[in-house]
Amino acid sequence: MAGLASLSQAVGSIEIPDVPDRARLRRETGTRLRAAMADRGVDALVLLGNNAVTYATGTSWRLGDAGLSHVERPVAVVLADDEWPHLFLPFREGASGETDLPGDHVHGPVYLEFDEGVERFARVLGELIPGNAVIGIDECTGAMRRAQQRLFPGGRPVDAAQVVSAAKVIKTRDELACIRTACRITDEAMVDVQAALAPGIRQMDLSAQFLRHAFELGASASMLEPIWQVMPDSRAAGVWTTHGDLALPLLTTERELMAGDVLWTDVSITYGGYCSDFGRTWITGADPTPRQQAQYRRWREILDAVRGVLRAGVTSGDLARAAIAANGDGTRPWLPHFYLGHGIGVNAAEMPMIGTDLGDEFDNNFVLEPGMVLVLEPVVWEDGTGGYRGEEVVVVTEDGWISLSDYPYAPYGEGP
Amino acid sequence: MSTEVLPDRIALRSGRRARALVQMAAHDLDVLVLGRQANVRYVTGAPQLWVAGTRPFGPTCVLVRETGAIHLLSTWDEGIPDDIPHENLYGISWNPTNTIAALARIDGAATARRVGTDAMSPLFAQLLPMAFPNAELVDGELAMRAARAIKTAEEVAALRSSVAVAEAALAAAVDALTDGVSEQTLTGVLMEAMTAGGVSTPANQDVAWVTSREHPWRRAAGNGRVHSGDLVAFSAGVLAGGYVAEVGRTYPVGSRPGAAGLYRRWDALWEKLAGVCRPGAACSELLSAYGEAGEPLPPVPVAHGLGLGFDPPVVSPQLPDTAAAERLEPGMVLSVTGYVFEPGVGAVFGREAVLITDDGHEVLTTSPFPAGS
Repeated sequence: MAGLASLSQAVGSIEIPDVPDRARLRRETGTRLRAAMADRGVDALVLLGNNAVTYATGTSWRLGDAGLSHVERPVAVVLADDEWPHLFLPFREGASGETDLPGDHVHGPVYLEFDEGVERFARVLGELIPGNAVIGIDECTGAMRRAQQRLFPGGRPVDAAQVVSAAKVIKTRDELACIRTACRITDEAMVDVQAALAPGIRQMDLSAQFLRHAFELGASASMLEPIWQVMPDSRAAGVWTTHGDLALPLLTTERELMAGDVLWTDVSITYGGYCSDFGRTWITGADPTPRQQAQYRRWREILDAVRGVLRAGVTSGDLARAAIAANGDGTRPWLPHFYLGHGIGVNAAEMPMIGTDLGDEFDNNFVLEPGMVLVLEPVVWEDGTGGYRGEEVVVVTEDGWISLSDYPYAPYGEGP
Repeated sequence: MSTEVLPDRIALRSGRRARALVQMAAHDLDVLVLGRQANVRYVTGAPQLWVAGTRPFGPTCVLVRETGAIHLLSTWDEGIPDDIPHENLYGISWNPTNTIAALARIDGAATARRVGTDAMSPLFAQLLPMAFPNAELVDGELAMRAARAIKTAEEVAALRSSVAVAEAALAAAVDALTDGVSEQTLTGVLMEAMTAGGVSTPANQDVAWVTSREHPWRRAAGNGRVHSGDLVAFSAGVLAGGYVAEVGRTYPVGSRPGAAGLYRRWDALWEKLAGVCRPGAACSELLSAYGEAGEPLPPVPVAHGLGLGFDPPVVSPQLPDTAAAERLEPGMVLSVTGYVFEPGVGAVFGREAVLITDDGHEVLTTSPFPAGS
């Protein structure tokens, strides 16, 4: 059932086209977003977050550093009764910023960090949105807070993040195609990186090779500085943490890797605004010992147990319980500050988060539906082995799941 | 370069913290609650995982003016300076009520009168009053912006290091420029060189593009490959040690009639722009420099501050009143953009990092322009 790399894949009513249709993507996500607005009685959304703007407008661009992105950022305005969103697009040199939106819905840039920019935006907003409308926003800059009365004359804005989150949790077929393409680029780029892994190579060299390959293969952007974390011999020998368990992710440096170093890898890129995720455990210049193989086998048992119960209609809580049962000793096989799994889409990690401090009730109330995409990332640890961590991207279907990850488990297991 | 994850050196972080505390006093803020990466790094000196694009607002770091105490969202202590003790670290949480409970325990939270935040979301607008029950929540970004605008000597040194990484990466990409190469490959080469140089965090990922001969600003519509006669623009932006460096250059592939004249126009424009880069100049003079050189204004900011991110001033044709009201000051570092276009030829884009000094300026970028241009 896993890893079918066919054209146009259809399993359990989920169909993933080989090539995303961007116009259909925007149309179908737009319909979902406006339905979520209607459910909550929201008349208009003003969106500033890069990922929310990508979701709402179907426009993707090569994301920059946060520091630049706060000033030069696209802004979206979505009206409940207009199938086309409005997009305020900075014209950063070289940025392609292609969009299929009608000309009267594409506006020049707005600079919402500045009072003068907010004044201009308020005048445009006043023409687009009736004064008594219920408006949702995801973020307010300082200048927007100073101009709140003029921007939002109908009253205090509501939380747009919840509306966007509700809409994007189920992916359309073209979103799935984007995520799958991002995963394929990532998997392919990693092959040569893993081949280069040897004693003496620096962590940074692995990052450099990955980025080179990923862009050559068509990545739009790197989402996260690549992680090649050298695992400690024991929890006690590792970095101090607030919870006493393992730290992750620790930043990449120019340290040279040594024979026997166990690496937990984690990278993410985007294709067309949608993210990939990748995680495998590698060993530098050595084959796994029997104890290390046992770590992988335990991890695989947990993954298989979770995927064994995974289908539409089960809850996040069901997945967490399956993982705990497969772990054998009643403990949770994931890191306390993270999760057994998370959603993925325009964000590298989004709802649902499974097994976090949101609590059991949250997990038990979260029912999985067809078209949700999960990244399952259980963690197995025993002092003296370096443990095992891997990430698997799966699409939930009516009767099971489709894998979007297609990367072997070498040097531990055979094949994907 | 480093084989360990280390905090920023003490002179760098203490100089920045002192500037932040001065601005807290000037803006009458008892507490700053910061979520933006640049602000968090500015105050804490702790490197953090780089993630592309904006992040939703959340309380990542808290600075208390009375005690100078810093509280930081971090589940581990690697890279955390020892002046932020373990008890001041609060771990990653997915449940905002747990984060709020951690903030409420901070000494000074209960009595704070004015709390500045560097952004706000509807969620935290509701929740933060539970952690700061006696406080008015106000904009704290103005205070941080004022602190960040003028660089300390240690910051200028950090920016010079970052410029060196950007320029080495740019040189590698320019070396790979040949007839038939794809924009994606040029991007990959630049990213690889930047990372091999010790920095896996780009400031921007729009790295190389064929300039359009028809439209003043678009990239050429084509198959994403470079061809003889193209003018190819490079924008290398890196974030080294948290500091943004940007350098822009344009290289011809083969020969393009009219290109030499376009490069001369760029030089004339740059002369006007550089002439403005002195203390006391109004930022709007950078906008009028284009007119004086006979060039139309570009739709992007003509200049913006460089630091831990995109610093003030931001000089954009969209913000004329803001530009007229702001003055250049010694210690500002600007990224200044020159852009000229000729129909049928293409565009020449160049971007320099400029330090405003006591009596003028110093151009920090030294990347060559194409020979004979």
